[in-house]
Amino acid sequence: MLYLGVRPTPAQNTDWQRAVSWMGKNPLEQENAKRGAAIFQQSCAYCHGKNADGGSEAPNLIRSLLVRHDKGGDLIGPVIQEGRPDRGMPAIRLPADQAADVVVYLHALLSISDSAGDSGPSSSYSLKLLLTGNAEQGKAFFNGKGGCAGCHSAQGDLAHIAARYPPINLQARFLYPVGAPSVATITLPSGATVVGDLVHLDAFAVSIIGPDGWYRSWPVDKVKVAIKDPLEKHHDLITQYSNADLHNVFAYLESLQ
Amino acid sequence: MRLLFLMMLTAASLHAQGLNPQKLLTPPVDTWPTYNGDYSGRRYSSLDLINQSNVHGLTLAWAFQTHSVSVKSTPLEVNGVLYFSVPDHVWAIDATTGRQVWHFSRPSQGDHLGSRGLGMYKDRLFFGTADAHVICLDARNGKQLWDTVIADVTVGYYVSVAPLVVGDQVIVGTSGDSADVPHFLLALDPSTGKVNWRWDAVPKPGEPGSETWPDADSMSHGGGSIWGAPTYDPELKLIYLGTGNPHPILAGGIRKGDNLFTCSIVAIHADTGNLAWYFQPSPHDTHDWDAIETPVLVDGDFHGAKRKMLLQASRNGYFFVLDRETGKDLLTAPFVETDWASRIDELGRPVPAAEKEPQPDGVLVRANMDGATNWMAPSFDPETRLFYVNTQTASSLWYLVLNDDHKPDGHQGGTLSDFWSSSQLKALDYETGKTVWQRDLGKGHSFTGVLTTAGGLLFSGDTSGNVFALDPANGNTLWHIYAGGTLNSSPMTYQIDGRQYLITPIDSVIYAWTVPAALPQGR
Repeated sequence: MLYLGVRPTPAQNTDWQRAVSWMGKNPLEQENAKRGAAIFQQSCAYCHGKNADGGSEAPNLIRSLLVRHDKGGDLIGPVIQEGRPDRGMPAIRLPADQAADVVVYLHALLSISDSAGDSGPSSSYSLKLLLTGNAEQGKAFFNGKGGCAGCHSAQGDLAHIAARYPPINLQARFLYPVGAPSVATITLPSGATVVGDLVHLDAFAVSIIGPDGWYRSWPVDKVKVAIKDPLEKHHDLITQYSNADLHNVFAYLESLQ
Repeated sequence: MRLLFLMMLTAASLHAQGLNPQKLLTPPVDTWPTYNGDYSGRRYSSLDLINQSNVHGLTLAWAFQTHSVSVKSTPLEVNGVLYFSVPDHVWAIDATTGRQVWHFSRPSQGDHLGSRGLGMYKDRLFFGTADAHVICLDARNGKQLWDTVIADVTVGYYVSVAPLVVGDQVIVGTSGDSADVPHFLLALDPSTGKVNWRWDAVPKPGEPGSETWPDADSMSHGGGSIWGAPTYDPELKLIYLGTGNPHPILAGGIRKGDNLFTCSIVAIHADTGNLAWYFQPSPHDTHDWDAIETPVLVDGDFHGAKRKMLLQASRNGYFFVLDRETGKDLLTAPFVETDWASRIDELGRPVPAAEKEPQPDGVLVRANMDGATNWMAPSFDPETRLFYVNTQTASSLWYLVLNDDHKPDGHQGGTLSDFWSSSQLKALDYETGKTVWQRDLGKGHSFTGVLTTAGGLLFSGDTSGNVFALDPANGNTLWHIYAGGTLNSSPMTYQIDGRQYLITPIDSVIYAWTVPAALPQGR
């Protein structure tokens, strides 16, 4: 299939691009940043916090103006080597190469912190944090008022579902899966009908990929358009779940290892 | 002597090309001198050469390719020249031909999220930059006259708002979420760039509003960015604007309290920068729902009484009508289906439901981070007496993210999985907040604003990139076109030499539309 589903809207494109550019590079993965992180944990974290976001005695370095105005260690370097006796910070006296690594690490932290956006949770998000529901009650919802069992089965399409997705993705995916195209039935002025995967629909035009694989489009005021969205029930359910329901269903699905 | 005469002549003719300050005090006709066209923020034009009888013939007059990023600014139009910006760039183009007059380019560091336009004072333009400078340009040639640094780019400050000229002052605020900084509004001297006054969106310890924060540290990193274009009442001499979210954005636990003056609508005395009153649409926000949407100023009846009102459809999904002399709430009504508030309190504020704050295991909320509407301009049409706004309904799962020290992880303090959203253009009755008509705009959302005109027309667009003219009484389509991109800004209009033009930035291209001379002009 050429088309995997409804074409993303421009807004969705933007979010997608943002997510890719964010995931594409991680300054903490640079070798010198990794070395700097280890030195920081050993020599700095006790006071500045293991995430450099401050402790009871020492400031948050992510927000620090000195760190932010530093260029290649010109400000941070002397503080490491000489301390800030007036503020109670002792001299750390690291070898120059180690101090340089700490500087790179701090700049990498700033870069990560400043570029953190709303591109969604990391796929390594902790299962322990997510698993707050009751699997038995989730199973009851699945087979009962949720109506999930009308289309899905724990032994069939959902067998071992928890082994196939990271927990955070499974949680998002059962709530609102993506990728299944809507099916459009187009009734032409002649009365003939054409059925295909919906490519685009707006107030003025509709387009599909027909069974023959060819793209076709019509003005919507010249044809009748009926859309069958395979995700319709997920869409309806998302406004009906209580917070407990969704965590219970998640716990149940997570039990399908 | 002859040289002196020539110099005098040149000076006189150049002055004639500048912005007559009186134009700022009248509704837009031949001039569109501010981001919103006039001080009211209504985005209503009294032009009617393009109207319901001929809009079907609307066609391309010209296009201007910026070869840059998507244009988010609304152009100014003064004496036949359009002035607009994107981050690092300002253009002046001929409003009748689309030909470039000049181009100012200044590469900068900082956040390049958007530049929403320019302010103009006589023959000077004001441009806020990605590295938090305000730059004054000579409108004749784009030459820089002064450059004032208003904030520190290394802690994430930048300027995206279109500066607003009020009297002899340039009003501009700061943007920037990335490093938990407090924000502020400045009045600059247009001649020198010197600061006349400053208003801080977050108080200091002991000041009014400080009781709504737990301590000095949370206040000093409180947020409240100012990135939505202000409006102004010249009679009351009050500047109206909305402020952005508190910090950390989604983690409210370390900043218990209402967190004034974030997510607030405020009235500021133009002469002094002092706060006249405030109203907070989202007390203790934990969803990034900036209240920066246009505070639209309308004079008229409210349930039988004459009122000077302020209307805002806020990003949190509630429509507010305030008495703009006092800040008293006259109406609070949801304009989309949402579930984050448990009730409306006696002041007219929605009260956040504790169980809808982000949690580590995810909390389902009927809204997403972009909110029920956003910075795109709404419009108020005095003929239909309806308020038009591009709205969004959505569902998403909100996570509180704490690090291994149980502190908020970075300036976001959380994240969300955004599942599903759809957009609708709504026409609201401002006396009830009820939807009189609505029109589906498609899946997802856009940042497309609205313009209404005395031609009985509403111009806007949908999430598929269609631009259209609608009947503002009922939402019926009168004209539409797909121009190959998205209207990520708000349409504007002006009239030159007996012809009316409609401007729609589409991605990086400015399109000008008009009715051909062969078609009847006027009703």
